[in-house]
Amino acid sequence: MQLIHDPLPRRTQVILGIVGVVGFVAVLEMVIRSGLVSGAGLPLPSAVAEQVVDLLGDGEFWTQIGFTLRQWLLGLAIASVAGIILGGLMGAVPTIFAMFLLPVEILRPLPSIAVGPLLVLLLGAGMLPLSLTVALACMWPILFNSMYAARAVDPVAIQTARTLHVSRAGILMQIRLPAALPFMFTGIRVAASIGLIVAVSAELLFGSGQGIGGYILVASTNASNLDGVYAATLVAGVLGVLVTAVLASIDRLAFGWKEGLAQ
Amino acid sequence: MTDHATEQPAPAELVLEQISKTYGQNRAIGDISATIPAGKVSVIVGPSGAGKTTLLRIITGLEEATSGRVLFDGEVVNGVPEGLAMVFQDYSRSLFPWMRVEDNVAFPLRRRASKAERTRRVAEALQAVGLDGKGRLYPWQMSGGMQQRVAIARALACQPRLLVMDEPYASVDAQTRAELEDLLLSIQAQLDITVLVVTHDIDESVYLADRIIVLSKPPSTVTEVIDVGLARPRDQITTKEEAEFVHARAHVLRLLRGTATPDDASDVRVA
Repeated sequence: MQLIHDPLPRRTQVILGIVGVVGFVAVLEMVIRSGLVSGAGLPLPSAVAEQVVDLLGDGEFWTQIGFTLRQWLLGLAIASVAGIILGGLMGAVPTIFAMFLLPVEILRPLPSIAVGPLLVLLLGAGMLPLSLTVALACMWPILFNSMYAARAVDPVAIQTARTLHVSRAGILMQIRLPAALPFMFTGIRVAASIGLIVAVSAELLFGSGQGIGGYILVASTNASNLDGVYAATLVAGVLGVLVTAVLASIDRLAFGWKEGLAQ
Repeated sequence: MTDHATEQPAPAELVLEQISKTYGQNRAIGDISATIPAGKVSVIVGPSGAGKTTLLRIITGLEEATSGRVLFDGEVVNGVPEGLAMVFQDYSRSLFPWMRVEDNVAFPLRRRASKAERTRRVAEALQAVGLDGKGRLYPWQMSGGMQQRVAIARALACQPRLLVMDEPYASVDAQTRAELEDLLLSIQAQLDITVLVVTHDIDESVYLADRIIVLSKPPSTVTEVIDVGLARPRDQITTKEEAEFVHARAHVLRLLRGTATPDDASDVRVA
């Protein structure tokens, strides 16, 4: 079929992507070096790159990356378990839907970052209040995807299972859950990138100096090390890209059968 | 349940006794009584909206009748009877897309048989529907006709005594439809099971059936029960040329249109 625009060949796409990144960096470097835009604290790409190399050679910074990743993963895990169970049940059982819809709608617009300081007060410093802040932000896309996924399970598949003598619990675990899992996972994918942003922000705003956010906070109080701030921010961004890529491959590997639904 | 697949259990007889079904004010099924004889192919045919699918849901125990009862080998149906297997019209929705073909077919056996026994029965069932060697595929990698074969294989893996099919070939092309009709007839003869098919296709009803149960418009009742004496094995070309086929086909069509006269039935045996 002739599309309005033929998709570009894979190789061309990759080359264009590289050209875009390199071009942006080169223009930024030129604009700042030429003095076209001047001012203290502008990120000179070459200086930031140098800092990134320094940071990555620093074992202490890796410890901070590790902290952020664990903090984020814990939050995402809490949100996934809570979101899938509550969302799945809300989708599958009308009475549970009726009971929980209002509380969910009231809690959803709360900015998790605003709740974070309260959690620190209640739970003390450490990873847990940060992770719970992440969980609070990650929960909603997972919950809503799970709810709609459980609700959208094909009634013919469920009837089929009933004629095959599958019990009610069996239908939940063997039909509804596997049918809904890929869409639940889409919720987790969406939540993961939100969660990483919240994880670094929480460290920055009410953490105890740990994690990438904590590093940025400490480095930015020292005005001479602004390139370090940019470098750490860049690393956080790259981390986000990696997380997205890893989750996309898991999606392809585990839920390849979704392709079949497109027919 | 026997352990050996070649020892097919005896076919079941199904009796419908004064079934009715009312949804609110809407009377879908008026009063249906009929016997689905053991080891034969019976076809329920009726105009659209005649409650055919509702009747099947009652027969398969998925839904309760407002009054009347269904007897499966003399026992009142209350929930899906053991020994009944169902094939749905929507094969693509009835097969589980996250399972390979072999796992779909093995699904009804998951707690009933050892692993080796399951593997053997899946292979047998796939062979019976002409899909040997296709077990590793996913259903959605197959054509519609092949998917419906998988659904039939899954039903056969249960070693049913009664195979119930709801408009099983309504979503496939005419060529595939003819192939699947013949596949059903050869399986039925080979395994000696009772088959009950619901269809709106008159040719198909006559071609498949030992007994045709013609339903009226809702609230549906049995207009007539016709025993078809056409010889077996049947053939898509020669059977359909026989006088009895042509007359039975015309008679069923007139019944559905409500223009039948007693004379029309002179060439068919009315039970």
